[in-house]
Amino acid sequence: MTSQQDSQERTSCPVIIRFDHAWFGFPGVVALEDISLSIHAGEFIGIIGPNGSGKTTLCRAVLGLLAPLKGQLRIFDCACEELRCHHRAQIGYLPQKGVVDRDFPVTVFETVMMGRYGALGLFRRPGPQDRRIALESLALVAMERYRDVALGSLSGGQQQRVLIARALAQQPKVLLLDEPTTGLDLPMQYNVLDLIQHLHKTLRLTVLLITHDINMIRSRVDRLVLLKTRLYAHGPPADVLKPDILEQVYGRGLIFSDSNLVFVGDYHHSP
Amino acid sequence: MLELFTYDFMQRSLLAAAIVGALCSLIGVFVVLRGLAFVGAGTSHAAFAGVTLGYLVGWPPLPLAIAFGVATVWITGWLEEQGRMKLDVSIGILYTATMALAIMFIGFMRTYNPEVYGYLFGSVLSVTGEELFLIGGLAVLELSLLALFWKELLFIAFDQEMAEASGIPARSIFFLLLTLIALTVVVALKTVGAILVFAMVLIPASTAYQLTHSLTTLTLYSVLIGTATAVTGVIVSTVWDIPSGPSIVLLAIAVFFFSLLISPKRMKHPLGSSRP
Repeated sequence: MTSQQDSQERTSCPVIIRFDHAWFGFPGVVALEDISLSIHAGEFIGIIGPNGSGKTTLCRAVLGLLAPLKGQLRIFDCACEELRCHHRAQIGYLPQKGVVDRDFPVTVFETVMMGRYGALGLFRRPGPQDRRIALESLALVAMERYRDVALGSLSGGQQQRVLIARALAQQPKVLLLDEPTTGLDLPMQYNVLDLIQHLHKTLRLTVLLITHDINMIRSRVDRLVLLKTRLYAHGPPADVLKPDILEQVYGRGLIFSDSNLVFVGDYHHSP
Repeated sequence: MLELFTYDFMQRSLLAAAIVGALCSLIGVFVVLRGLAFVGAGTSHAAFAGVTLGYLVGWPPLPLAIAFGVATVWITGWLEEQGRMKLDVSIGILYTATMALAIMFIGFMRTYNPEVYGYLFGSVLSVTGEELFLIGGLAVLELSLLALFWKELLFIAFDQEMAEASGIPARSIFFLLLTLIALTVVVALKTVGAILVFAMVLIPASTAYQLTHSLTTLTLYSVLIGTATAVTGVIVSTVWDIPSGPSIVLLAIAVFFFSLLISPKRMKHPLGSSRP
C-alpha cells in the first residue's frame, strides 16, 4: 500500500480531535484564533510554525489544560472542558526538553511507572500488571536494560526515549510530542523520529508532533498543520510546503534549497 | 544513663521525637523535590501566630496553629495558581505578616508565658500525654493521606503539568501537599519550635538526596535519617543538658555535611548512575 493510500485510509477513520472555530489564549492575549481542524484516528500530524505561533498552546488545548475562549474543541467526542481524567490518560505526552528536571532523583523504571498512575486512577496502587506494561513500554523504545539507571545520567536522546516510554505506559490512543528532537545531535534526532514513526505504525497511534524542523518530518507525516496564531494551511506536506504559503508565515526568513529543502529563520515578530 | 529511659517524660519525649522525625522527613521528600522549602519555613511562623492567638484568647493553641498554617499555604497556593504572584513572594509576605501578628499577640499578653516560648524554641522534654496523643492522631491522619495519594504526590513532584496531562487531578493534589506540609509543621511545632521546625522537614530529605538516584531509596533514607537524628538529638540534649530543638537540628546538619562528603553524586563515577 502506498503512503498516499495509507493516508486516505486514515482520513476515513473516526475523528478523535475536532477544533470547531476555536479560539485560545490567556487574559488579554489571544494565542490562537478561529482554529477549525479535524484529526482522525491513526493519523500522523506534524504541527509547524514559527516561535510564538501557538504550537504549544494547541498542545495544551489537546491535553485538556486550556479551554477555548470561543468555539469548541472536542476530544474523544467530549468537550475539552469536560474532559475526565480517564480521557486525559489516553493522551501520551512528551513535553519540551527542559520542562522536566533531568536531575530529579528517579530511575528509568520509576519514570516509566509514572505513566501508569493516571491510567490507574486515584486510590489504586500499581500492581504486577502495571510493572509488566512499564517494562514492555521500555522494551518498545529499546531501553529495558537501563531500567535501574538514574534518568539524569542518560544522554539527551536516551532520556527522550524513556519519556516516550512513560507516555506509552499510559497505553494511549494519541501520542503528543512537543519538539522531541530539540537539543539532540543530528543522528539522535533521526533516531528519535524513526522510533516515533515505528511506534505510529506498529501501535497504530495517532501522533501529533510539534516541531521546527520541517525537512525532518515532511516525509514521515500524513498531514502538516501550519500555524501562526491562526491556521494558515493544513494538508499533505506537498500541499502545505509551497513557497507562497510559507512566505506568508515565515516572511523573509524563508529559503528553498535546490534540493527542495526548506530553511526558516526565526522571524516570528516580523510582519 | 539507661535509667533515663525509665522516666515517663523521657519515654514521651522519645516517642514524640520519633513520630515527628519520621513524619517531617517523609513530607520533606516532596518539599525538597517540589522546591517548596520556603513555603514550609513560612508556614511554621504562621502556625506560631496561631499558637500565640490561642494563648491570648484562652483557646487551645494547636487547632489555631493548624488554621493559621493551612490558611497561609492555601492563600499562597491560590495566588500562584492565579498567576498573580510567585510562590516565594507570596509566602514571604504572609510569613512576615503572620510573624508580625505573633509579636503583636505576645505584646497583648499581660504576663510572661513560658509555654509560648516553648513553641518558639521547642521543648520536646515537656511534651504532655495529651499533646503526645494529639501528635499521634495527626500523624496517623497524615500517614493515611500520604499512603492514599503517594503515587500522585510523587508525580506532581516530578512534573505537575505532565501529571495533569496524564489524568492526575494535579491541582487538588498540590493543595493536599500544601495542607500536609502545614499539618506536619504544626505536629512538630512543640518538639523543635517554630524557628527550627522546618530544618526537620528539609534536612533529612536533602541529606538523602545526596545519597541516591532512586525515589524509593530517597524516601527510605530520608525517614531513617529524620527519625534517627530526632531520637538521638533528644538523648544528646538530655545527657548534655542542652536545648532539644537545636540539638536535633545541629545533629541533622552534621549528617547532611557528612552526606556531602560521601555523596556518590559528587564522585567521578557515581554509583548506579554511570552513563551507559
